[in-house]
Amino acid sequence: MEEFAQQVVTGVSIGSIYAIVALAIVLIYRSTGIVNFAQGEIAMFTTFVSWTFLLRMDFWPALLLTTLVAFFIGGMLEVVIMRPVERAPPLNAVVITLGLLAIFNSLALWRYGSLPKPFPKPEIFAGAPLEVGTVTISRLNVGILAMAFLIMVVLFLLFNYTKLGLAMRATAQNPTASRLVGINVSRMLALGWALSAAVGAVAGMLTAASLTLSVDMMFAILLFAFAGAVVGGLDSPGGAILGGVVVGILQALAGNYISSQVDITAAFAIIVGVLLIRPTGLFGRRMVRRV
Amino acid sequence: MRGRLLRLSVLAWLLLGLTLLFFPYFSTWPGFAWFLDHLAETTGISLTPFQLTTFAVWLVILTGLNLLTGYSGQISLGHGALVAAGAYIVAILLDRTGTPVAVAILVGGLGAGAIGFAIGVPALRLTGPYLAIATLALIVSMPQILKMDAVNDWTGGASGIDLPLARAPGVIDGLVDDRQWLYYSVMLPAIIMTVLARNLTRSRIGRAFIALRDSEIGAQQMGVNIALYKTLAFGLSALYAGVGGGLFVYSQDFASPESFSVFQSITLLVVLVIGGLASILGAILAAVFFTFQTGVISRLGEVLPAVDRLRWAIYGGLLILIMIALPSGAAGLVQRLSLLRPAKTLAEWRGGGLRAPLASLRAHPAVERLLGVPRERIYDRDLPPEEGGGRPKR
Repeated sequence: MEEFAQQVVTGVSIGSIYAIVALAIVLIYRSTGIVNFAQGEIAMFTTFVSWTFLLRMDFWPALLLTTLVAFFIGGMLEVVIMRPVERAPPLNAVVITLGLLAIFNSLALWRYGSLPKPFPKPEIFAGAPLEVGTVTISRLNVGILAMAFLIMVVLFLLFNYTKLGLAMRATAQNPTASRLVGINVSRMLALGWALSAAVGAVAGMLTAASLTLSVDMMFAILLFAFAGAVVGGLDSPGGAILGGVVVGILQALAGNYISSQVDITAAFAIIVGVLLIRPTGLFGRRMVRRV
Repeated sequence: MRGRLLRLSVLAWLLLGLTLLFFPYFSTWPGFAWFLDHLAETTGISLTPFQLTTFAVWLVILTGLNLLTGYSGQISLGHGALVAAGAYIVAILLDRTGTPVAVAILVGGLGAGAIGFAIGVPALRLTGPYLAIATLALIVSMPQILKMDAVNDWTGGASGIDLPLARAPGVIDGLVDDRQWLYYSVMLPAIIMTVLARNLTRSRIGRAFIALRDSEIGAQQMGVNIALYKTLAFGLSALYAGVGGGLFVYSQDFASPESFSVFQSITLLVVLVIGGLASILGAILAAVFFTFQTGVISRLGEVLPAVDRLRWAIYGGLLILIMIALPSGAAGLVQRLSLLRPAKTLAEWRGGGLRAPLASLRAHPAVERLLGVPRERIYDRDLPPEEGGGRPKR
């Protein structure tokens, strides 16, 4: 039982990173209907940018500055690259995000090299791990969980209690009608990408703080975050957080009780199982199309 | 007029076929060999029989992926898993039993096809991004499955399966050497399967694939059995993947979990888009690109060191540019340049070529912001998107 509890806690802490990245994926999917395969690489790239900031300043100001940079990069990507394929079939958009993945990966490799870099932890997250009963959890993992929760609350407030959030939701639901009532739809889509890149940047910095900073750090995380987003339903932010955590727990449990050789396979088998029962995830809504 | 030009294009295909047929003999002729050496030295394209064998392997695999993604519109990011299934079936058969190669490859193809058909059934419930992620899960789990203790004895775990080199059978010993034998035994099935795929896409089945890609509901209204044709597309494309995988192990003498990575699976889709979706020529160009890109890029890297290091950034940029300006890929460009499809009138000929891609680049919002909106486009808000309308101009 103790071992089980410890594994669950470990799973929750891995899962909270997946949860943040899953949230970033959902942000774009909700507003534009595109699954962004470049999400992880954009986050990785902005984390390298933050690394150059960190040489000159503390963690928190660097985090703020990086989110701003990522916000700008995300918005620019939508305006310059995604806008022409707004109405194209989904395959085209998927292929373009795969192109972005290649570009950001290659640029980071060229600019910063392939050697992993040490990444500083913020001071309040350092120090001895916390002990709750027989279960231990590192301060950094508690911090990551808290950040995930904070981001979710901020986004919830934004989407449900501000005029801007209402406009963004309206755009996602019906672009034509939104345009008719005077919403600048293109700006809302760009904003969706910008917000998503900013959330991704936070996830990237927290990942780098818990592992090390390297070019390929986000690839595996992106896969699991996808899995989390899919389990939760690609259009549900709360589902994304929950899905990310669930995937983390499953991975930890499968690694411990089945075999560490099959942790990925087991996690994905469960995801495919969920999809078979609910093809749009646990909290996703089924779209009814009219012809 | 049209008839004669059509015959010209048939002639071009015939010429290509004959060149491929006699290539292993040509390639040792002194003059031709000098040309090939020179080509390899200057451009990095090394046209050896072995490279063309590799091309044939990828042609089979990419043609299969094209049937699934290009024609029937179902995204698969995990096609490599089906290739791996075929490759391992063939490798195990050749390694453990005395099965003749042709039979082994046939069994590999049918085995992978059955797996694909089985995957197709649950995939019926998934669409778009959900399908992409489910297929991605397949290829991500593949190495772990191959290395599991339960199957370790069969698959050889992480170290994979080593096969003896492919040898020409004794009967025709004097006629062709081992290399040439390998060339023919891979190239012939590849050509046959490409021709079969071409015929299939022009048949009732092919038309059903295209119909369900363009509008699932519309196809259903026309009486297309969606479930049947979707799973059929999966099965057929897996059959191609399996045969391709079999040819792969046969020509490389080797299969390991690392031979089939996530990265390679995604690259397959990417080169297919660059070559041209839903086009037989597109799959051929994609296979050419997939086979020879490494050589060309390393050669370019010798001249411009940045090229080698930024290889993936260049591919990515190329991919995005193609998606925006030329959604039908390189095959579409070839057709636009009227090499294969003769223009009926002078105006059509002028309208072809690079004009349409350039126009769609010109219509890109960022370019329009720089250069201004052309007058005739200010009023076309009410046109459908494919005629340049739909997007508000301000």
